[in-house]
Amino acid sequence: MLKRTFGFGIAVLLVLAMLSGCGQKEAKEIRIGVFEPMTGSSAAGGQMTWEGIQLANELYPEVLGKKVVLYLEDNKTDKNEAANAVTRLIEQKKVVAIIGSYGSGLSMAAGPIVMKNKIPTVGCSPTNPLVTVDNPYYFRVCFIDPFQGKVMAKYAYNDLNARTAVIIRDVQDPYAVGLAQYFKEAFIALTGKTDSILAELEYNTGDQDFTAQLNTAAGKKPDVIFAPGAYGDAAIMIRQARQMKINCPFLGGDTWEAPEFIQIGGEAVEGAALSTHYSAQAPGTEAAKTFVEAYRKKYNKEPNAFAALGFDAYCLILDAINRAGKAEPQAIRDAIAATKNFKGVTGTITLDENGDANKSAVILQVKDGKFVYLTTVEPD
Amino acid sequence: MSTRGDKGIIRIIVVAVVLALLLAWAEGDLAFIGIGPWDAYFVRILNLAAINAVLALSLNLVNGFTGQFSLGHAGFMAVGAYTTSLLVMTPQMKKTVFFMEPMFEPLDRICIPFLPALLIGGAVSCVFGVLVGIPALRLKGDYLAIATLGFAEIIRLVLQNVRRLTNGALGLKGIPHVVNLWWTFGVGIAVFLFFRGFVRSSFGRALIAIRENETAAELMGIDIFRHKLLAFAISSFVTGVGGGLMASLLTTIDPVMFKLPTTFQILLTVVLGGMGSLSGSVIAAFIVTFMTEFLRVVEEPIHLGVWSIQGIPGLRMVIFSALLVIVVVFYPRGLLGNKELTWENLSSPVSRLFRRRVAS
Repeated sequence: MLKRTFGFGIAVLLVLAMLSGCGQKEAKEIRIGVFEPMTGSSAAGGQMTWEGIQLANELYPEVLGKKVVLYLEDNKTDKNEAANAVTRLIEQKKVVAIIGSYGSGLSMAAGPIVMKNKIPTVGCSPTNPLVTVDNPYYFRVCFIDPFQGKVMAKYAYNDLNARTAVIIRDVQDPYAVGLAQYFKEAFIALTGKTDSILAELEYNTGDQDFTAQLNTAAGKKPDVIFAPGAYGDAAIMIRQARQMKINCPFLGGDTWEAPEFIQIGGEAVEGAALSTHYSAQAPGTEAAKTFVEAYRKKYNKEPNAFAALGFDAYCLILDAINRAGKAEPQAIRDAIAATKNFKGVTGTITLDENGDANKSAVILQVKDGKFVYLTTVEPD
Repeated sequence: MSTRGDKGIIRIIVVAVVLALLLAWAEGDLAFIGIGPWDAYFVRILNLAAINAVLALSLNLVNGFTGQFSLGHAGFMAVGAYTTSLLVMTPQMKKTVFFMEPMFEPLDRICIPFLPALLIGGAVSCVFGVLVGIPALRLKGDYLAIATLGFAEIIRLVLQNVRRLTNGALGLKGIPHVVNLWWTFGVGIAVFLFFRGFVRSSFGRALIAIRENETAAELMGIDIFRHKLLAFAISSFVTGVGGGLMASLLTTIDPVMFKLPTTFQILLTVVLGGMGSLSGSVIAAFIVTFMTEFLRVVEEPIHLGVWSIQGIPGLRMVIFSALLVIVVVFYPRGLLGNKELTWENLSSPVSRLFRRRVAS
């Protein structure tokens, strides 16, 4: 008996779930879909981005006199789920534009679907160049890996007077692999010597022991060590390096910008420098000031780059709808593609022919246990 | 006897025609008479469910029927997915994707149709299956699980590091989207029918004998190792094909996709359906795939008049897990145990309703 009741219950649940998916009435609202990893291994990044998007929606809830409604779908840090989520947003929620996703792989899974349905999509932080290639409907508000790699190479060459470097990269992380590659190219171009990169060493995400890589690096006596990868791994690596009396500066990318980096690294990470999208301390635009104040008020903490990028993605779409004068996907797409000198929180954004943001980066340094703003690097 | 055979054939034809019409309707092939295609979201879930069914079936052959606990599924999927993808991608796309390091010489110009690529993907996966199986299948129980798990990890690490072959961690994109319901259901049904025939054959019965009692099976004259290896090879072939289908459905793959959770997801499906039940695996694959999608509703903000509840991300996984626990409590051996869904046990409640006896 129990069995049958239970089976019946499941059947009812399934039918209800199916019904609730259909039959939503058309409303006088503009629908923007969001797909982010709210659970799974990238949940932290997805949640921070979503905070930024929600904040933007609260500050600017209307465009063209219509209410903007956000629809969030979780992609569980899973490619299949990302593809499903985007299809659901397009087919069932009838969104006119989409924001997402943290994680380039997840964005790439959504790419062909938004292209087929001609729905403009703005990524917040997928930095893999492949995301927007050959896809006229995918854009992003962050800079891509080539630029970030170049920024750090320039910083090492000009500000630190480095002439030789060793790269230690996380081979499992597409972001780290890309960044390392572009740092190498830019650094070789700056120094004019192909042997200025003394060694390219590798490790795997979650490794605890870096003595082998560091020993090799120490033997080469580089001016700087570039180590893009997750903050946890990098912090442990730098600690071990300092114990081994390797005293050259460590440089990294925006993934280092997490409080845990300093917690784990402690004294050892003092002086480590990283490039990122945005800093609350940077002399910013009007938008940045509004954002920082509103964010502190709403969430009672300091905003980070991902929230800022989410905020910018939303505002960019709203700006495009305004310029298009109508909330139709094709018109929005054309307006987004034509974006020039958009004053965002994370800098002035101009989209290039690939849909990639051409914008400035900031360099932060760890000083007295805090990330301190060092300088802003403009794109060439 | 002959009437029963006739009835069986008619039944199969009717089912095939109905299924074909449904698929044609869903795919929009009947658009000329003004119906279809179905909602793309629904079609996508159907495709995914069919692929999951293929993967669950192949895992069930080794884990359920042969009783060998293998955890290398994601590895075989990865081999199939990468082989198929690298063969069907256009040379131009390969050039775009391999922007960091160019691809190995002859492979960057090769581009073949989907079907042969899919079969080659399966074949390569099968070769790996045999290579892994020869040493690993001499192990039993937990040790086999660990060995196959290690294999899957090795495959993933190789994919991540051999950048000129696989583009490393950056993954592949632009894999032609060939699959539709005809492909996924076609492969799914073919695999199901083949497996059904296989487990009923002397080979299949030998596999079940091995599962029930290895020593007794050996005493009966069954070559244990050969049978295990055969099951493993067939399973890895089908898994490779399933991986290829998934790659084409997603159009993009990367090594992170093929981590342990992927194996567990399929293992969960097999256990839910019943170890040693083919129809159970298929039913469970559809239930799991559809449930995770339909439960998205609970994560959305709910408006009840003036009162509205914010959606909680992750809630659907909580509900899904709770449902799983309930299923395991009531059906400890999975939904179907080791039984199969047949016409007889499908039609008996119906016939009871009409008070007619089924001819047996």
